[in-house]
Amino acid sequence: MGALGKPIILMVAMYAFLKFGLPNIPGSAPLPSSLIFLYLLLTAGGIFMFETVSGESKDAFWGPIQRFLTGENIGGLQALRYGVFILFPLLVGWQTYGSTAVSDLPPTESRTIHPAPPGEYTGLSNPVPKTPDNIMQGKGFYAAYCSPCHGGNFDGKGPAARGFIPAPANFADPTTIAMLQESYLFWRIKKGGVGLPIEGAPWKSAMPRWEVELPDEWIWKIILGEYDGAHQSPRTWE
Amino acid sequence: MKPANRIMKRVLRDGTAAIAAMIIGGASLGYAQESVSVRATLLTGGVPVDDPSAAVWSSAPPATFPMSPQVHWQNRIQEVTVKDISVRALHDGTQVAVLVEYSDPTQDPDDAAALEFMVGDKKAHFAHGQPMLQVEGGPVNIWFWKNKTGKAIDMSAKGFGTLKPQEHQDVTAKGVYSNGTWKVVFSRKLLTGHADEDVQITAGQFMSISFAVWDGRKDAVGELVEKGSQKAVSSWWYFRADAPPDYSGYMYAAIAAALGLGFQFVLIRKLKKGQ
Repeated sequence: MGALGKPIILMVAMYAFLKFGLPNIPGSAPLPSSLIFLYLLLTAGGIFMFETVSGESKDAFWGPIQRFLTGENIGGLQALRYGVFILFPLLVGWQTYGSTAVSDLPPTESRTIHPAPPGEYTGLSNPVPKTPDNIMQGKGFYAAYCSPCHGGNFDGKGPAARGFIPAPANFADPTTIAMLQESYLFWRIKKGGVGLPIEGAPWKSAMPRWEVELPDEWIWKIILGEYDGAHQSPRTWE
Repeated sequence: MKPANRIMKRVLRDGTAAIAAMIIGGASLGYAQESVSVRATLLTGGVPVDDPSAAVWSSAPPATFPMSPQVHWQNRIQEVTVKDISVRALHDGTQVAVLVEYSDPTQDPDDAAALEFMVGDKKAHFAHGQPMLQVEGGPVNIWFWKNKTGKAIDMSAKGFGTLKPQEHQDVTAKGVYSNGTWKVVFSRKLLTGHADEDVQITAGQFMSISFAVWDGRKDAVGELVEKGSQKAVSSWWYFRADAPPDYSGYMYAAIAAALGLGFQFVLIRKLKKGQ
């Protein structure tokens, strides 16, 4: 039976790693079950090739499996053998049911949070000088137009934020404006939710199209105010 | 042989337990989530189209959605009365009824509520199907009820300033106020003959729905606080009318299990014969 122990331990360890280990590595994400299944299949294939590479190892690998399945001289494992025989068809049935049953879950949505801006909004630099005066003015505009949703503390928790999906961006979070250029913010503020490309699910965003109401200069000042208030700096390329 | 046997046993037993735990853990994850969709329960016999208090409503699971002040376009509002709404739905294969419930401290003539649906396959912006700059959007169908008139208006919009009542009025509505709670039931046939302006509800399919509520209270100088675009709104959520029960999945599962069983028998017989 020894020849089977290692492959089984390896398979279980591989599954545990893919399912629970890998998502915890910084920058990683949970794997879809189909991918886990594929990786396990490849692992199993590798084990199979390794174990059947010579006649001797092949016997050592298949022998225990055969003995287990036929039930010859396996003593205490007999109950387990019957258990496997009962479980296997049930598992097959269950899998089949799962793959044919109509899902009760709504369609999955994948939304790109920071989609690429149109060409004319890449690489613009802020024409408004970063002076204490302009920053203060920007913060004033921010308080009037942005803070109801994005919050007085720049944390996306304004009084009107609740209920909007997607939630208003939290500027204090290092994954929002800190990883974007001022040019990008200018585009997002100017065009709002409806200016997003299809991968940004523009039909859901409540972000106003501020170009209708605010002059460009105010928008640039708001950007200064936002970075300053959220204690972040724009992304640069050097 | 004996110690190896014992190790094997333990490995198999622990492995099975671990896998079972993972399966159970994974399965429960799928269900632990907040409301994202309204499920219209299928019932036989008529739906209570004009009775928001009918006992049969309790057979439909409620879904709760947060409401936000409308800040997307002018005129905006910063604070609204209604913070959450609870929604139930029923259908009988022909007629659908959607029950909206929310608390409102006072009953006013201008209290109003509305449902909004995307029409057709094109996505529409949740603010009245406002045009999107990079995506060609579709129209929306709005079912609007007002306390004062006591009835529904079936409307269409594709962008700001385009909201208008339809030529074909297919929607009915009835509101009942008691103990600080509005219960408003909207009703319509699942299908109408006007697929270009009305949402067509096909059982089993997910479609997009959103909500709006106006508290018709007045301020100190007698002006309405919530009116027009100054209202409580929700984001898009899902709506689905239950399809008739389908048991074919069980049949396929039974066939697959029988095949699995047969495979085992053949395999073991071959192995025993020394193949």
